[in-house]
Amino acid sequence: MAMAVLTDARKRDLRRELEALVGRGAVLSDPDELLVYESDGLTLFRALADFVVFPTSAEHVSAIVKLANREDLPFVARGAGTGLSGGCLPAEGGIVISLMRMNRVLEVDYDNQVAVVEPGLVNLHLSWAVGPAGYYYAPDPSSQQACTIGGNIANNSGGPHTLKYGVTVNHVLGLEVVMPDGEIVWLGGKTRESQGYDLPGIFVGSEGTFGIATKIVVRILRKPQAVKTVLAVFDRVEQASAAVSEVIARGLVPAAVEMIDRLTIQAVEDAFGCGYPRDAAAAVLVELDGLAEGMSAQTERIVQACRDSGAREVRAARDEAERQLLWKGRKSAFGAYGRISPAYMVMDGVIPRTKLPYVLARVNEIVASHGLRVGNVFHAGDGNLHPNILYDPRVSGEEERVVQAGAEIMRLCAEVGGSISGEHGIGLEKADFMAFIFSPADLEFMQGLKRAFNPTGRCNPGKVFPTRKSCGEAGPSAYRPHPIEEKGLAQRF
Amino acid sequence: MDLGPYVVEGRSPEAAVFPGSVDEVRAVVALAATEGVPIVPWGGGTAASLGTPAARAGLVLGLARMARLLEHEPGDLTATVEAGMPVAALQTALRARGQWLSLDPPDAERATIGGVIAANASGPRRHLYGTPRDLLIGVTVVTGEGALVRGGGKVVKNVAGYDLPKLFVGSFGTLGIIVEVTVKLRPLPDAERLVAVRFDRLKDAGTAVRTVTGSDLIPSALELLDAEAGRSLGSGPGASLVVGFDGLAEQVAWQCDELRRLTAPLGGHGIAPLPDEAWSRLCTAARAAFATPAAVMKLVVLPVTVADVMEQGANAVRQRGLLSAWSAHAGVGVLTAAVFSPGGQADPAAIAAVLEDWRGMAGAGGGYAVLEWAPLTVKALVPVWDAPGAAGRIMQRIKAQLDPLAILNPGRFVAGI
Repeated sequence: MAMAVLTDARKRDLRRELEALVGRGAVLSDPDELLVYESDGLTLFRALADFVVFPTSAEHVSAIVKLANREDLPFVARGAGTGLSGGCLPAEGGIVISLMRMNRVLEVDYDNQVAVVEPGLVNLHLSWAVGPAGYYYAPDPSSQQACTIGGNIANNSGGPHTLKYGVTVNHVLGLEVVMPDGEIVWLGGKTRESQGYDLPGIFVGSEGTFGIATKIVVRILRKPQAVKTVLAVFDRVEQASAAVSEVIARGLVPAAVEMIDRLTIQAVEDAFGCGYPRDAAAAVLVELDGLAEGMSAQTERIVQACRDSGAREVRAARDEAERQLLWKGRKSAFGAYGRISPAYMVMDGVIPRTKLPYVLARVNEIVASHGLRVGNVFHAGDGNLHPNILYDPRVSGEEERVVQAGAEIMRLCAEVGGSISGEHGIGLEKADFMAFIFSPADLEFMQGLKRAFNPTGRCNPGKVFPTRKSCGEAGPSAYRPHPIEEKGLAQRF
Repeated sequence: MDLGPYVVEGRSPEAAVFPGSVDEVRAVVALAATEGVPIVPWGGGTAASLGTPAARAGLVLGLARMARLLEHEPGDLTATVEAGMPVAALQTALRARGQWLSLDPPDAERATIGGVIAANASGPRRHLYGTPRDLLIGVTVVTGEGALVRGGGKVVKNVAGYDLPKLFVGSFGTLGIIVEVTVKLRPLPDAERLVAVRFDRLKDAGTAVRTVTGSDLIPSALELLDAEAGRSLGSGPGASLVVGFDGLAEQVAWQCDELRRLTAPLGGHGIAPLPDEAWSRLCTAARAAFATPAAVMKLVVLPVTVADVMEQGANAVRQRGLLSAWSAHAGVGVLTAAVFSPGGQADPAAIAAVLEDWRGMAGAGGGYAVLEWAPLTVKALVPVWDAPGAAGRIMQRIKAQLDPLAILNPGRFVAGI
């Protein structure tokens, strides 16, 4: 879509106008300052905006959006920038609307178990705010120390506990939204359902193309009375995969079932020494939560399921310190890859759980056929794979091979009845892969839905759907650490 | 054929068609589109009388011949089903393999899975397991232009593209004819139990609801019934708090003990187990309180206000010389209220006045009300749906984009859709 290109003089005028709207310290337009906002966590795609603006109210956001419409400028909302699919990139010019100054918990209603928050609130800070009263916010993407709830809304983020508690959309009741034409509307509210089409339900996960959320009503949950975590170690990946299905087949719904493979175990042990056996083929982490009564019986059932699947070692954490240590191996995997490889690309695909043994073997074959190594660390319980392809960007042609292997893995996920994203979204990265799982009619129907919200296409253009710009270019892109990762503030997924 | 079963609000459809395949559905839609005849997608017909009376009865498109369980892989905890399969039949097939769809809508013998999704129907267990919105992961529809469109997929976690399953939940057949769905399943619990705690005062039962939701208990259902609705479950006078528990046998037992311990100081009279049939009767307890209710309304409010709304709502009815019965999914704030005229023939204006009172009460607390059932004489006086405000304009734009011929169930839904 052709949109306005600004002259320097026009840019200066608009900067003054934006400053009049939101204040002098709340507008960036110097190229040096804009650089920080040229990518999200997927650093291969880069694009510079004309302005980055920091509103502090819905009225600010509305005024900025109306100005963008008047000037025919594209605009995009941005949270912490931890996304991994290029979803909040500007469209070469236009306005980035950063919501980082709208980060308050506006209201907590414990009786009704809801909280009203601003979009720039960091995910984990909500659990901190309600924790002393015995509550928490369930969706827990692994970047939850840094990512914002508004960004979680855009991507319908999940996390390890999705298996039992669902993704972001299962916890959102209502949203105040600035529509792409600048109108401020409420979709849903504080009640548990709203009449008519499920507007909050379709807004969540629309990757910033339906408007900008400025207030969000989320459910908060009582903290579970008890939590138990079990680590099972396997000599063969097939045994570990079988254990995942076996745990489910024993009639329990764990809070989380995570798996890490041999290469990842070795990387983790080299880096942190979490006590996983270095020669194991895979480790599976199962977490149960709920009532204290019956917890030991359920744990025993999990242990037995793992043993029956061929685990060579199964142990349950005896206390919180031991539990944290078991999780540390899983959670530090991404940092550990950095110790054994100059770079890696994180993939995000989903498959039916029962296809795990076949798909994991095929992933390894695909990557090996390109002369590369892969580490797998993922949400096995819901089939959300994260193959991480290790490579060296200084070796000529290696990055291209990574991209090629990534595309083959995405096609594999589609072929076995899965999907091309479990939690990272489509963004720019996977727009061309949408055709792997959706027909032209499916995509046209989705475009119709988009037109209902965003008829001019100025709100986050170029995302989700294949475009001329992305067609024919590289698909998924290589990993480079984002500044907030380098500072240790965030983890990949 | 006999169109009697497809008469809605006294009006017979022009015809009823029962395609046996997706291609046949598309052919029927193409024909109807050419002729400009509105299509009424039809599952079990259990929600057919809900909605604004249609301007034209149109063509009933029944899914009864598309009723197969297409795929069930227990290891994936998912199933793919043709839309016309009755929910009870689906549950029977799943139960044979140790699993279930954690949804207990009213009239599950007749209600079809597609219809339940289109109507966003649910039952008491929504307290723990959520509604169709939380369970539908993939959907295939035929659009009003005859296109076949799929949204979501067959995996439990999927954020590729817009969440079309959410769009179709509760859309009342206005955006597409649901022909196939994929749902999330759960393992059957080892044990389950439904128990009732009685209270002399509704207010105390309301306090007990808050106490339970703020405790460590994890009930699967948390229902509040007034004395009238409770009678249809065999309760004595006073309010009833009906609570479901499931899990390991020892967890169920512990929770029953804990419930007694928590509710006794609030005036709860012990705990009595209810028979299994009570589960399905809970959904219709308010409606079944009277042989012939004059109208039934659903009110959605903040959970904490449920007991107050019940009390005020019942008072408002008494002041008008009428009777009412109330039940609620108390933990989630969804009430069902039936109004009844003890003098026999109900005066539509008086019934309408009651419904307006109730709607006002729901709206005052930030909620809303839907007229679930009423005779046409009452519907002529009271809108079925609340005024949707700015969100209604977005809904109208969605309808205009996705069903541009306005051929799918037109005129019966929110905002005139």
